[in-house]
Amino acid sequence: MSRHQALDTFGRSGNPVMGNKFDGDAQFRDMPISQKMTLEGTVNKTGILLLLCFATAAVSWNIPNPILMFTGMGVGLIAAIITIFKPTMASSTAPVYALAQGLFLGGITVMFEAQYPGIAIQAIGLTFGTLASLLVCYKTGIIKPTENFRLMIVSATAGIALLYMVNILMTMFGGGSGIGFIHSNGLMGIGFSLFVVGIAALNLVLDFDFIEQGSENGLPKHMEWFGAFSLMVTLVWLYLEILRLLAKIRSN
Amino acid sequence: MDLNTIFFGGLALVSLAAFFYLGKFKASKAQTERDDRITWSKRSFSFRSCLTIALGIFLIFFFLSYLGYN
Repeated sequence: MSRHQALDTFGRSGNPVMGNKFDGDAQFRDMPISQKMTLEGTVNKTGILLLLCFATAAVSWNIPNPILMFTGMGVGLIAAIITIFKPTMASSTAPVYALAQGLFLGGITVMFEAQYPGIAIQAIGLTFGTLASLLVCYKTGIIKPTENFRLMIVSATAGIALLYMVNILMTMFGGGSGIGFIHSNGLMGIGFSLFVVGIAALNLVLDFDFIEQGSENGLPKHMEWFGAFSLMVTLVWLYLEILRLLAKIRSN
Repeated sequence: MDLNTIFFGGLALVSLAAFFYLGKFKASKAQTERDDRITWSKRSFSFRSCLTIALGIFLIFFFLSYLGYN
């Protein structure tokens, strides 16, 4: 059976994020180099997204307002969903995501900073410290992501998402505080936060591998924005979890 | 400026500089030239195994919470 017949019969990958857009060898071979994804382009675009995020975070930090915060959260969520299902639009939706998340992060950081002075700079330092150290580990081959590694990280991330969703539902409809240790500052609560920080950090390795292989296979240029977007999503999650972990430790 | 800001601010700046510098280089051969790399064009693991592990993680934490561990 030929490759095209097989695709017609069985269909393409069901993964909405990757799908058939990672078919570098056949689809993108004839594209000019200037239209292909590069490592440098992706890193530069990550820089642009970080700058946009910092800019709106500074606004939200100086003018703390719950409306700004929740608008940022909502718009960020919509922009993220559009980017995941329509990566060709990433060049416009990824900057919107970064701007919106900046509003959200600035607001939430002010709240933590008011309670625990100095916590914001600690969380920022540890987030970027984790990013750089995992990049070194990935580039040098100390951490080698495999299919099993991917299975474990994707599954653990899904498990954590499920736990958070059930917690939100229990808080909304159960009347209690949901799954207790998610917010507790006891040994179990801190252990859970450490586990989540670990999983969020290891998601960065998957992002690095996606970007590395994307540039090797010469994916189209818009995938640079998509790669930068996926790094931003993980960094935002990692920052929030580190913030929560530090708050739990300091509240003891 | 206190010591906390200098240390963690410095860490953030150095880390960002390292990211923007190292990120532009290709990964080492130890990373790129191996047979067990992830194939991003397809999902090689089954949805069932992913769901089983996710539910396992969820249930472990859920029951620990149910038993009153905080």
